[in-house]
Amino acid sequence: MITYLRSLFIPAAALIALFPCSGTAAALEVFPPQVTLSGRDARQQLIVINPTDDLTRAATYRSDTPHIVAVSPAGIATPVRDGVGQITITHNGQSQTVKVTVQRSGQYRDVTFERDVQAILTRHNCNAGACHGKARGQNGFMLSLLGYDHGFDYAAIVEEARGRRVFASNPDYSLLLRKASGTVAHGGGRRLAPGHAQYAQLVRWIEAGCPRTPADAPRLERVTVYPTERILAPSTPQQLVVTAHYSDGTTEDVTHLAAFSSSESIYVSVDENGLAKTGPLPGEAAIMARFQHQFALCHVLVPMPGSVPDAEYAKLPRKNFIDEHVWAKLKRLGVTASEPATDHAFLRRAYLDVIGRLPSVEEARAFLDNRDPQKRDKLIDALLARPEYADFWANKWADLIRPNPYRAGIKAVYNLDAWLRESFRENKPYDRFAYELITATGSTFRDGPTVMHRDRREPEEITTMVSQLFLGVRLDCAKCHHHPFEIWSQDDFYSFAAFFDRVGHRGQGISAPISGGEEIIFLSQNRLRGGVKHPVSGKTMEPKPLLGQEQSVTIDQDPRRVLAEWMIAPNNPFFAKVMANRVWADLMGRGIVDPVDDLRATNPPSNGPLLDALAADFQKNKYDIKKLIRAICTSHVYGLSSIPNDRNLNDGRNYSRHYRQRLRAEIMLDAVSDVTGVPEPFAAMPPSSRSMELWTVRSQSVFLDSFGRPDPNQDPPCERTTDTTVVQALHLMNSPRLHGKVIDNAGRAAKLAESKKSNAEIVEELYLAAYSRRPKPDETAVCLRWFDRPNTTRRQAIEDLLWAFVNTPEFVFKD
Amino acid sequence: MTITRNCAGQTRRDCLQLGLTTLLGGGLATALRAAGRGSYGPQAKACILIWQDGGPSHYEMFDPKPNAPDEYRGEFQAIPTKIPGVQFSEHMKKLAAIADKLAIVRSIRHDQGNHGAGNHYMMTGAPTRIPVGCGAFVSFHPSLGSVTAHEKPAPDGLPSYFSLGGMTRSGGPNFLGARYAPFVVSEDPNGANFRVRDVALPAGLADARFEARSELRSEVDRFQRFLDKAAGDPASALDEHYEQAHMLMRSREAQEAFDIGRESDKVRETYGRNSFGQRLLLARRLVQAGVPFITINDGGWDHHRGIFGTLKKRLPDWDNSVAGLILDLERLGMLQDTLVVALGEFGRTPQVNKDGGRDHWSNAMSVLFAGGGCPGGQAIGSTDVKGFTAIERVLSPENFASTIYTKLGIDPDKILYGSNGRPAHIVANSMPIRELMERG
Repeated sequence: MITYLRSLFIPAAALIALFPCSGTAAALEVFPPQVTLSGRDARQQLIVINPTDDLTRAATYRSDTPHIVAVSPAGIATPVRDGVGQITITHNGQSQTVKVTVQRSGQYRDVTFERDVQAILTRHNCNAGACHGKARGQNGFMLSLLGYDHGFDYAAIVEEARGRRVFASNPDYSLLLRKASGTVAHGGGRRLAPGHAQYAQLVRWIEAGCPRTPADAPRLERVTVYPTERILAPSTPQQLVVTAHYSDGTTEDVTHLAAFSSSESIYVSVDENGLAKTGPLPGEAAIMARFQHQFALCHVLVPMPGSVPDAEYAKLPRKNFIDEHVWAKLKRLGVTASEPATDHAFLRRAYLDVIGRLPSVEEARAFLDNRDPQKRDKLIDALLARPEYADFWANKWADLIRPNPYRAGIKAVYNLDAWLRESFRENKPYDRFAYELITATGSTFRDGPTVMHRDRREPEEITTMVSQLFLGVRLDCAKCHHHPFEIWSQDDFYSFAAFFDRVGHRGQGISAPISGGEEIIFLSQNRLRGGVKHPVSGKTMEPKPLLGQEQSVTIDQDPRRVLAEWMIAPNNPFFAKVMANRVWADLMGRGIVDPVDDLRATNPPSNGPLLDALAADFQKNKYDIKKLIRAICTSHVYGLSSIPNDRNLNDGRNYSRHYRQRLRAEIMLDAVSDVTGVPEPFAAMPPSSRSMELWTVRSQSVFLDSFGRPDPNQDPPCERTTDTTVVQALHLMNSPRLHGKVIDNAGRAAKLAESKKSNAEIVEELYLAAYSRRPKPDETAVCLRWFDRPNTTRRQAIEDLLWAFVNTPEFVFKD
Repeated sequence: MTITRNCAGQTRRDCLQLGLTTLLGGGLATALRAAGRGSYGPQAKACILIWQDGGPSHYEMFDPKPNAPDEYRGEFQAIPTKIPGVQFSEHMKKLAAIADKLAIVRSIRHDQGNHGAGNHYMMTGAPTRIPVGCGAFVSFHPSLGSVTAHEKPAPDGLPSYFSLGGMTRSGGPNFLGARYAPFVVSEDPNGANFRVRDVALPAGLADARFEARSELRSEVDRFQRFLDKAAGDPASALDEHYEQAHMLMRSREAQEAFDIGRESDKVRETYGRNSFGQRLLLARRLVQAGVPFITINDGGWDHHRGIFGTLKKRLPDWDNSVAGLILDLERLGMLQDTLVVALGEFGRTPQVNKDGGRDHWSNAMSVLFAGGGCPGGQAIGSTDVKGFTAIERVLSPENFASTIYTKLGIDPDKILYGSNGRPAHIVANSMPIRELMERG
């Protein structure tokens, strides 16, 4: 076993100060600074870095005491004989020595199942989802996914298949080893050659009679990775070393047994040996090293090559706290911010973002002509006060919680929709909004939030929804197995589900496809079916919040209230952040955490301090959603142009420029109706309704479906797509319905053609309607020429222009 | 842990161990090939999936039970087919006459007895992740057509996946995204004014005016593009989509494929002058244009009451159209690489109910395969004498889906990633149906 002294890792700030003045003069840093090798098969990967580079592969290693310790050219130290030795590491004329203590070099450490064999199987992907770890195993040999169930796996290897998988008398003949080594046909190919150290470990394990790890053996307490933070140039390597820490205080180098993955392999990739490599582009990534069920992260930042004077960042405007945090991050990356957006881009963006519609011709004109330096902030305030705000933002939440009407019933769906709209109309504080949803009781015909409990009837179903919606924690995986990239276990899942084990349903339940009846949701005196049971142990679970303590709930107390109070408490680590991140993503085009509802250590935020500050501000304002929107929309960052400069071209996560987005389905259809001046009729809606007011996907619309409105019949139902497709292009060009709007006798084209307006005035109006801006002189000229074409009436010219505008990206995208 | 055993109570491995390899019929080589899913090359360029939503009765189509008591047998007689010893029900006359070109699988079963879940299982090869209601239109996994569109794009802006006769319940792309959703043609190709939505100019707009408009569009389009790929400009993606859309509109082949009126009356008659028949013909034309996957959404097979009266009217036309498609594909030399499949989400209950109907029954169903390299003239697997359950060569929806993918040259074991990074096998436990892949 190996122990080492605490490393002297250079803080990131110091690295920034030194970067990019790379050179040979910088001191070598060796990790670990001291090594203890205990046991015949102990090993230690050495890491050699200077402030800018990883030298692990470039350095030369020499054992000064070859009779005690050996060292490979890759920097792996192995024991020879007990004693105290020394390794000298040299690079470019500089050198460092490391003291190595070798103990028990004569004997192998005992190999046991849980501690060693499971790690080897995991390392070689035997129990991966693609192989024997998949739900039904592979060719009759089934293991638990990534070895989360030791008992099950032990039985599968040692007891099943008539014991052919292990042969104590002739371990090499064990099917486990013959398959793994490819000696007999193996669908997975050769995973582990005879002669490999881990093959030899498995042989020793089988020889010893396949011992399990004793219950009182040291437990794995945590895993650390070195280094934990690096700032590297593009296209450079960094070797990582992974250390397991056991409950008896010992440590072990498990780099060769760890699995590695990158959060953004485009910026930083990592191979199976823990060698990370930065890509050609500036950016950042978190490298995860996983060993058994623990993981550790190494954050790697790849700044833009070249340097930007500090003054560049100092002179950027700071309208509120958001700007400060974004500029700080850009400075770290050496990325620069784009110019402020033009007035018309800001105008169109703000309308689309805050109330989900285009400004009218008059509104656009008024804003563009306004000389008030505060006009952008005032516009945001005015928009937040408009009635369309409620419909637009309620619609976003309908995406997330609107049930399938075929399942929950059309009246219930309508009722929930009405509650959502009402909540946003009154600007209900978000904590109350969540509380009402989670703790709802009453009739599905009168009390909107109860409908969520009608739809998600089982504790297990509502658990995944509530945890993902409000906490950004995806528990789906933990339902069946320990989440491989997360800390959540089945215990966490089922004790969370236990909060919902007294949700009573009375009345007419689900009778799809109509499900027309009323249902009463109430607090039951009894736990449903005797409570939520752990699927493996069968134990009845007590309610326990994530990362919290078991909660005692009295019979007259609704456990859901206990849960909701824990969620909305000021010290809840997830609640405010998730909503702040959602709103930020809606307005800025990408979540600080992305996907927005997946907060976990292995999916780090692109700007942690910014997310923390947004969440704190949201809490300070008593979860006032409008204030959150206002804070974001009045920051300088929000008002940046989408046009990149040469130092932020490939930034897609740090908000150095605005990110273009295709208009959402409903906004797009409403925009087409507004621009053509012809409203869209919908089934089950009064005339002149806007698509933003639709309350069910059963109001059919080829247009909305083509543009990716979410379909609650799909699971997960929240997937709204904003990509562009050929089908959309065809629809915009050729849809008879859209054609009908363009040529409608009561539409904008007809009205303008009949009006007294000059052609130039008409062109200006069309630009204001479609693009929220006035045409430039050459644009006016192009359009006016169109009126003069032979065989073209004034009305036809206007129709052609309308059609052309609707089919341009300036219309289709929010810029 | 339980190891799946076949009906003889032995696992394949037991057989190998006991040296009884020959019991498997094909010897060790076959057994090993069956175990290695990737060993079959592509056999079909396209698949036409006839989706009989509601669950067609196996009794009244391809698995009659003439020796069962009245209450199971039903009103129809069994008739001989071109395959010695294999009978169809009496209204499958034309298909019976060309049974040498068909492979009927009688032994696919699953445990999803309601429409929503059954549709999902058969159309995606994956069971629903949570229980769903009967009327549900659900999607937890990409459909056969969406995966095919993802893996085998059609040429020239042509959509790769069509759904004719409307959208099917579980035919969506799920995590693959809207790009891989089917191009839905709800309009009736048997109608006099049939047009495929959006691929041609709206009525009343002349070609010249469209060309002029397109020119105008490029003149007024001053939106700045970020040409460097690194900037990830979505406007550039839109440009590509417009280019593809124009290609589709200008592609004579594609436009002709949509123009079913180009077929002679004689050919149109072969398919039957009804919506279903003409959809099959349109599907064949799309295959000719290079579309790899077409679903025909053929609803109304949920016969809880009066099944015999209804089917007596419906089956002869259906039989005529499907046989017409197969023969026409053969005539054009396309049958060898065009896979035709017909099925619904499940079969129907053995006992005729009090309303003279049959209810949902997922323990047995029949699936028709033709073309696409399927050896014809065989009935694969069987149900018991009363048609209760598949008993011989019991196969799963996973086997079914793997067969289609493997034939199309798509590895069913491939892992696809959702937008949240969650990996999923195309088919979770993939194993194509051996008898459909090679001549026994």
